[in-house]
Amino acid sequence: MIRISRRAFLASLAAALPAAALVRRAHAASVDELGASQRSMRALGEVILPQELGAAGITKAVNEFERWIAGYREGAELLHGYGTSTLKWAGPTPATAWAAQLNFLDKKAQRAHGRAFADLSIEARRALVQSDLDAINADGIPPLGRAPHVALAILAHYYSSSEANDLCYMAHIGRQNCRPLAAQTRKPLPLAQAHA
Amino acid sequence: MSWRLGTRPQVIESDVCIIGSGITAAMVADRLARTTNGKIVVVEAGDEAPPLGARYPLRERYLQYGESPWPHDHLEGYEIHGPLQSRSMQVGGLALHWGGVTPRWSPEDFKTRSLFGVGTDWPISYDDLDPFYQEAEILMGVSGEQGPVEMDPRGKPFPMAPYPLTYNLEQLQEWVKHAGIATWSQPTAKNSRPYGGRSECCRNDTCEPMCPIGAKYSPDFTWNKLRAANRVTLYPRTLVRKLVLDERTKKIVSAEAMQAKRSGGKSPTAIEFRAKTFVVAAGYVWSSHLLLLSANSRAPDGLANSSGMVGKYLAGHRAQSAFISLPLRLYPGMNGQHSLLSKQFMRSPATDRYLRHDLRVWESSYDRGPRLRNDSGTLMLGDDILRDWRERTKTGVARVRAYYDVVPDRSSELTLDATRRNSYGDPLPSLAFRDAPESAALRGYSESTIQALFARMARAGGGSVLPARGNGGDWQDHPSGGCRMGDDQATSVVDSWGRTHDHENLFVVGAPTCVSGSCANGTLSFCALALRAATEMAR
Ligand SMILES: Cc1cc2nc3c(=O)[nH]c(=O)nc-3n(C[C@H](O)[C@H](O)[C@H](O)COP(=O)(O)OP(=O)(O)OC[C@H]3O[C@@H](n4cnc5c(N)ncnc54)[C@H](O)[C@@H]3O)c2cc1C
Ligand code: SF4
Repeated sequence: MIRISRRAFLASLAAALPAAALVRRAHAASVDELGASQRSMRALGEVILPQELGAAGITKAVNEFERWIAGYREGAELLHGYGTSTLKWAGPTPATAWAAQLNFLDKKAQRAHGRAFADLSIEARRALVQSDLDAINADGIPPLGRAPHVALAILAHYYSSSEANDLCYMAHIGRQNCRPLAAQTRKPLPLAQAHA
Repeated sequence: MSWRLGTRPQVIESDVCIIGSGITAAMVADRLARTTNGKIVVVEAGDEAPPLGARYPLRERYLQYGESPWPHDHLEGYEIHGPLQSRSMQVGGLALHWGGVTPRWSPEDFKTRSLFGVGTDWPISYDDLDPFYQEAEILMGVSGEQGPVEMDPRGKPFPMAPYPLTYNLEQLQEWVKHAGIATWSQPTAKNSRPYGGRSECCRNDTCEPMCPIGAKYSPDFTWNKLRAANRVTLYPRTLVRKLVLDERTKKIVSAEAMQAKRSGGKSPTAIEFRAKTFVVAAGYVWSSHLLLLSANSRAPDGLANSSGMVGKYLAGHRAQSAFISLPLRLYPGMNGQHSLLSKQFMRSPATDRYLRHDLRVWESSYDRGPRLRNDSGTLMLGDDILRDWRERTKTGVARVRAYYDVVPDRSSELTLDATRRNSYGDPLPSLAFRDAPESAALRGYSESTIQALFARMARAGGGSVLPARGNGGDWQDHPSGGCRMGDDQATSVVDSWGRTHDHENLFVVGAPTCVSGSCANGTLSFCALALRAATEMAR
């Protein structure tokens, strides 16, 4: 009987699968991993997102971020640039690094406090996040797909939303939503009034 | 004939064969369909665009992930040397992506040599073009505000009421007025009311790159209409590789093309298009490129090129922009692609040296986005970010931009690049934009004068110009030229109607026929030129 090593078996399996399918699986595995850390992710959201959103608002923002990452497509054709013939494609899934960073936050929490990240006080969580962001010299909220840290990714996702824009201006602007054209001549209604 | 031995192309006969299906091709086809009974065939290298009904989800992927809402809208392997405006090659051309900004050029653009001693006069005037501007505005549906007549002359009113100013633009208009500058609502090919069977704009602000509801005009609407009425037959995925000259006369007899199968399909099939009239409507790059590729023993430098001018005098305008911080409460996101326009500096030179430019003003969120660190570098998280953001957005930012006229040099050119070839082995084009000496000498002066204007505008509003990285660079926008028009056969490729001097049944239309690139968005002018050419084709 021919004996085949586990590594050779996996390699032959990989060769039999189209590369795109493998890439999709790796992405799906990372998304699952992030999904499994939902508690940590929500706990992270509580530290970095505005408290003004309330518990429900923070959960919603984190869920929407999760949906975003689940929908990410590696290798998708991106909008091509203006004034150049160079084409661009979406890079490898950022989910892998983000899932690892979330795990790392948990490990650091265990090491420093003997508890999971999600079980720490806001202040303790904040200190751990801050040390991660200082370590990578984070100096701004980057474009979402290129966020070097999961905390920055959640921030980038939330702050690029129309809801965040409205909350900042306390006005019902509704950026990039369908709105009556004639209404654009008027000052946007204050948020409270618009929601009433 | 250059067909490989043993391969028999399919032959398609027509009265008019239009090469390209962009906006200028759509204008020509529309006019010919209205004014003639001839059979019209349109040949397009790229594939069909996604139908209107499929655009909302595509737009959503674009907004969420930056994905192209027009996937596969390009030919593989067309990475060329030089600044290509866009890779898009698709049924509808670049105007699927366009912002729909449609200013007319000004009367001075057509006679810069006689008026200012620079550049070359066109063989036509603004008045010659006025009715065709109007026709283009009607066909695509332009919403526009009449500017002060001395700055914004036009024969008839716009077909649609002005596109309303946003609250933000109203504030900005007041500010610019203090600087002594008249502005008005930018004319735009977006519906300020339901028009042409398409909806009113709902200002969801992704016109560039995709309008999901069809409120912005794009050429696919014209093709849908003409195809439904059986007035044109359109061949997608069909690249014309060569125009063929009759053996005895100077007429073009056919266009040799290859039609690719849908993705994953078998090898391409050869098609020979025979027609009485050929119209090259392939934009500023591919029109000259095709003429050069069509060289033969009797036209060794390419078709229509006895003057040696095919591919020469590529034109455009360069930009200067700035962001101006103002003590105004603005609400960015109301409709960020709409702007104010001024033609004040376009009609007469801004100074005694030749400098003409347009001016546009937009709302902006530049320098007013949420931050991670405050001014002292302290990390902010949670409520701090929102609090800081709110504080910083109590005042607003305007984006201002001027396109200024650049006089093209003869060496501003498209050439065949023997080092890069497409899958059929045809050389790809190489592009280089170069200023005429008089323009090159004025570049520093032009740009500092415009920046000084921005600084003056900022002061008039009690604001300041914000530091910004990079400005304009070398890119010349709304590129055109390559087959410039003229009365003199020795210095031009086509006459004022777009008919090539060398071949009576060969026309080139739109952008390539421009003598110069003015200092405002060019597509409406390309369309007006194309419609004017179509009147001659129909004669
Ligand atoms: C993002 C973006 C925004 C823009 N916004 C504006 C704006 O707001 N205002 C404005 O004035 N302009 C704007 N423009 C520019 C405008 O879109 C172009 O000027 C205009 O669409 C050009 O039309 P055209 O018919 O000359 O050429 P194209 O649109 O390039 O059409 C030419 C067609 O010919 C086909 N073709 C080429 N060679 C061959 C061949 N050999 N055989 C068969 N088919 C061939 C191509 O595939 C292409 O589809 C914008 C452009 C872009 C990319
Ligand atoms: S603002 Fe929205 S609806 Fe209006 S033309 Fe642009 S994309 Fe279409």
